[in-house]
Amino acid sequence: MPFDILFGAWVATGLTLFIFTFLYKDNPLFKLAEHLYVGVSVGYTIVKAYDTVVIRLIYEPMVKQGDWSLLIPLGIGSLMLARYVPKATWLSRIAFAFIVGVGSGLAIPRVISSFILKQVEDTVRPLVSIVGGSPSFTFSLLDPASNLNAVILLVGVVSVLFYFFFSIEHHGPVRIAAHTGIIFLMIAFGAAFGYTVMARMSLLIGRLTDLIEYAEPRYGRASLWLIAATVALLAAWSVKQRRQPAPPTE
Amino acid sequence: MSFAERMLQIDRRIIFLVIGLCTLIPLFYPVGLAIKVGPEVRGVYNYIESLPEGSVFLLSLDFDPASKPELYPQAVALLRHAFKKNLRVIGMTLWLPGTGMANEVITRVAEEMGKEAGKDYVFLGWSPGGSSVIINMGQDLYKAFPTDYNNQPTKDLAVLKDVKTLRDVSYVVSLAAGSTGIESWYVFGKDKYKFELGGGCTGVIAPGLYPLLRSGQINGLIGGLRGAAEYEVLIGQKGRAVAGMDAQSATHVAIIILVMLCNTFYLMLRKGQRRAGQA
Repeated sequence: MPFDILFGAWVATGLTLFIFTFLYKDNPLFKLAEHLYVGVSVGYTIVKAYDTVVIRLIYEPMVKQGDWSLLIPLGIGSLMLARYVPKATWLSRIAFAFIVGVGSGLAIPRVISSFILKQVEDTVRPLVSIVGGSPSFTFSLLDPASNLNAVILLVGVVSVLFYFFFSIEHHGPVRIAAHTGIIFLMIAFGAAFGYTVMARMSLLIGRLTDLIEYAEPRYGRASLWLIAATVALLAAWSVKQRRQPAPPTE
Repeated sequence: MSFAERMLQIDRRIIFLVIGLCTLIPLFYPVGLAIKVGPEVRGVYNYIESLPEGSVFLLSLDFDPASKPELYPQAVALLRHAFKKNLRVIGMTLWLPGTGMANEVITRVAEEMGKEAGKDYVFLGWSPGGSSVIINMGQDLYKAFPTDYNNQPTKDLAVLKDVKTLRDVSYVVSLAAGSTGIESWYVFGKDKYKFELGGGCTGVIAPGLYPLLRSGQINGLIGGLRGAAEYEVLIGQKGRAVAGMDAQSATHVAIIILVMLCNTFYLMLRKGQRRAGQA
């Protein structure tokens, strides 16, 4: 097995186990892994961004291909750095104005079209279908296009909107509608929480699958050795913590 | 202290241990529970299946290593399917921290399927700008990505023959772990450049994407590890996702039992306190 893959397996196993030690309690092994994660992520991002943006998209096209028009966006972007010069801070506003203006101009119409108009269009569906000239009603809950689901969707949207209507007190029919809205909200939160639990369990499964794989002889039984080492280090740290005198109380 | 009180104050590490065992045991001794394929996942599969050979399939791997356990198996399954159908595959990412991983998965699956870089597939890498990269690609793909990940000029690549903008792409699938992903591809891509769009996502963001599915804004959705397992079943190549499904089911059962027990103990405690108050 190539050394880089073997080394990567040992590092991944060790850091996974160090992070898992937090389940026992906060400790130096967890802190080491946590700080490494943050440092490596930021370092990787800076290097990749420098290579892609500065070298590939600015330096090479300008110097090798003579595309000097890139000086315009480079100049506007560089104005951001004026924030660090107190007397020239105002120059950075030009860059910010450009970003906010272009960003808003691009996003607002598209977001309204995609998330408001399209969703309203989908919400307002016929409650009763016309089949062969006569009205019909489909009851299938499993079919998203059924009439029953269209009714549920309509009731859900209207009742939740009533719940978030704070201009009048929730009495009588408004109270019934608002309470119905709460039921719909609870179902939505439950579904979201269920998916979140599933996602977190998937992450655990992913790490444990890797640990099982790295326990194989071709990886030098990395998981087994490192579990032993981690447990030993954690035990030594716990013993040391217990022996330390308690801090004086006031 | 009553039994219910003692149970509600149980050391949380015992619960961690229970969940850990419920995950580990099925991974060592899989039962092979049946996996039913849902219409959301089938939507993506059927569309890829319907594409003629040589069609352009763009896979945007919009996630970082933190979401690898859920989205990496989805990427593997989709790439295997696309290469099996002899589609021209374009890979890219809108998430800078995931660039190396995205390149690794595409290269690995391409090698496994006997595909050649530049001819059968290309990994474009990452380009700055977030969602505006999609607009840039919609206007001129070569301006957004003048070179691929390996610094080869994209204009010379056989895999990109007759592909000038996103309008020339047959199908886009975004595997997303957050906001710059499926929604961005719809808002700035499909809505404007009229290609078909499918999605794959982490379990956390899946409920928020169902409205897009229902309204037809995306034609399919692969949700979390479960979605990946369903896709693996559809292509007939069971991998890590299917292997993890028994563990997923076991942990879900454990969590449901724990929630029910906690509620029972809580109700017992409240009942006891009421009785004590009356006496």
